[in-house]
Amino acid sequence: MLEIRWHSRAGQGAVTGAKGLGDVVARTGKYVQAFAFYGSAKRGAAMTAYNRIDDEVILNHQKFMHPDYVLVIDPGLTYTADITAYEKEETKYIITTHLSKEELIESQPKLKGRDVYVVDCIQISLDTIGRAIPNTPMLGALMKVSGMFELDYFQKAMESVLSKFPQKIIDANMAAIERAYNSVK
Amino acid sequence: MKYLGWDELIPGAILFSFKEELDKDASYILPEDRPYAETNSHEAYVGDWRVLKPVYNRDICIDCQFCWIYCPDVSIISRDKKMIGVDYDHCKGCGICVEVCPTNPKSLLMFEERIPNEEALAKWPEKE
Amino acid sequence: MAEKMELNEVEVWDGNMAASQAMRQAQIDVVAAYPITPSTPVVQNYGSFLANGYVDGEFVMVESEHAAMSGCVGAAAAGGRVATATSSQGFALMAEVLYQASGMRLPIVLVVVNRALAAPLNVNGDHSDMYLGRDSGWIQLDGFNPQEAYDLTLMAFKIGEDPEIRLPVMSHQDGFITSHTAENVRPLNDDEAYEFIGEYPMVNPMLDLSKPVTYGVQTEEDWHFEHKARQHHDLMTKVFGKVEEVFDAFEKKTGRKYNIVEKYMMDDADVAIIALGSTVETTIMVAEKMRKEQGIKAGVVAPRLFRPWPHEKIVEALSGVKAVACLDRSSPNGAFGALYNEVIGSVYQSDNHPVVTNYIYGLGGRDFTVEQAEEIYKELAANAEAGKPTTPLQQFVGLRGPKLSFY
Repeated sequence: MLEIRWHSRAGQGAVTGAKGLGDVVARTGKYVQAFAFYGSAKRGAAMTAYNRIDDEVILNHQKFMHPDYVLVIDPGLTYTADITAYEKEETKYIITTHLSKEELIESQPKLKGRDVYVVDCIQISLDTIGRAIPNTPMLGALMKVSGMFELDYFQKAMESVLSKFPQKIIDANMAAIERAYNSVK
Repeated sequence: MKYLGWDELIPGAILFSFKEELDKDASYILPEDRPYAETNSHEAYVGDWRVLKPVYNRDICIDCQFCWIYCPDVSIISRDKKMIGVDYDHCKGCGICVEVCPTNPKSLLMFEERIPNEEALAKWPEKE
Repeated sequence: MAEKMELNEVEVWDGNMAASQAMRQAQIDVVAAYPITPSTPVVQNYGSFLANGYVDGEFVMVESEHAAMSGCVGAAAAGGRVATATSSQGFALMAEVLYQASGMRLPIVLVVVNRALAAPLNVNGDHSDMYLGRDSGWIQLDGFNPQEAYDLTLMAFKIGEDPEIRLPVMSHQDGFITSHTAENVRPLNDDEAYEFIGEYPMVNPMLDLSKPVTYGVQTEEDWHFEHKARQHHDLMTKVFGKVEEVFDAFEKKTGRKYNIVEKYMMDDADVAIIALGSTVETTIMVAEKMRKEQGIKAGVVAPRLFRPWPHEKIVEALSGVKAVACLDRSSPNGAFGALYNEVIGSVYQSDNHPVVTNYIYGLGGRDFTVEQAEEIYKELAANAEAGKPTTPLQQFVGLRGPKLSFY
């Protein structure tokens, strides 16, 4: 069972990202879960979303998890949210930031000794999609770090997930995924 | 009416208006020709609920149908837009028909139940 | 003609989308709805299907849930296929009209996305609203995940609308844990789904002017008892067989097997947890773990049908166990939990008398964790060993503050 926790602000597309990831993974015959903590969250409030991926039917409905991946799609949450909560030794962090990995860890010492990857999903989405929607670039970065799918395969699958959108938006998302895939460090 | 056991009831506590299915929309059949079911309120006599009764005067009536429209108990009998009389089996004596009657003098007036209609017609008031 | 929607063999849908797709495929005549969290997306999705030409029926926007169910009652009495969705406070506001629907034997389908009842205000899932509906004369089906929410909502139409049954049906799913959790769902295609449910069989429609009918009659002490008895009789004697028949037909079509009472690893179980909703699945996983790691012969029992209460099947399911925990996700407010009371009522008259204890958990969406389930199984194992309760009869789990328990 692979478990992923997203840290996001409401409106940045973590739920859509988690569901999109679920959608792509389900096409390979695996079982998926995508959910989020709701409540009276308003746009901009910190929130978490989750994925579970397994080869067998997923029976576990508890919200609690020790994540294999922590995806932080808003740069500020690295400092204000408890992104290392319930971590385990192997937990990998993919964090949106304009800083280098070293600068990031220096600015947030609790990431010291963790398996940290950085990618600037905000800048990438601004450059490609034209809005700060960092969810699809994060998926590109996750593909690179996890080796879950080849870039080509993932892009094709995402294209069909996004098929209800205009071609222009699909193309922009593909570019965002590719740039994040190639730039995550 | 026969009291039925739980096993004899139609589910949903529904009541059919007629004993049998009609071959056409009920509104095309005159009330006296409709096969009312025993449970239909048409079969219930409530004439003795009245204190006063409306008496109808054919000589003055202009067949405007106001009484027919306003009667809350469908107790004004009208055929081909001609006023015929009052259904005393169902009229409860509310007096609305008299209230809405536009003629002068009125074509419907309330009288005590014990006064025969002929006597009531004989003392009908004059035009004011 | 409504347009058909192309669906993938495997969709990733949350419970709300699953329910709204089942509603779309049923080609409902009238949906009267007033959205409320967490069931809002059910009617929101349905409204967008309608706007995009995938539904031919009417969507009536109303001013409250009371009006929503009233609209459904009117449309169903008129002779249409009718459904709506609600949760929590909306369900509570519908309560009066729920009894009208069942008493008039109108087969309305109500998707209930379970949520806590205020105060204090809470949008998350527990079973307070489901329990509120338990004496309303509706059939209550309970889905544990989005796939089941889809399947059971489809089947709800076929069960309730059968002329022999003519009862309204609630299709329950857990708020957020199911309704907002996307999982793999294998839908039927539109034609298969509609063919499975079939044309709506009209029974005594008000709009048949050659056979006019009165709905909502007044009955006093002279008739009321017989009508209620008739309804109870039909719930107690006709529904189980029909539900099984529909479950069988559905299995033939999809390969997915449903049972009135679901049993997991109960063949040789010494201890069992009985629960409702998404908790059932987490508990199955834990039961497997307890068998492997602790050597506890753990099983799970879950009523798929909460109303009518499947007394005989519950007795049968619990006939070999030594200890049972009944998990209630609703504040009992001065009593044992509803599920506990039902189970006790059933097993008391059976030949097997397991130790039965009550756990109150997960109120207002509080996480039901693997750890809590493990702890319950350990306590059950101790009860089974001792042959009597080793814990208080009613315990709260996952609660902050001093341990809360009674008796």
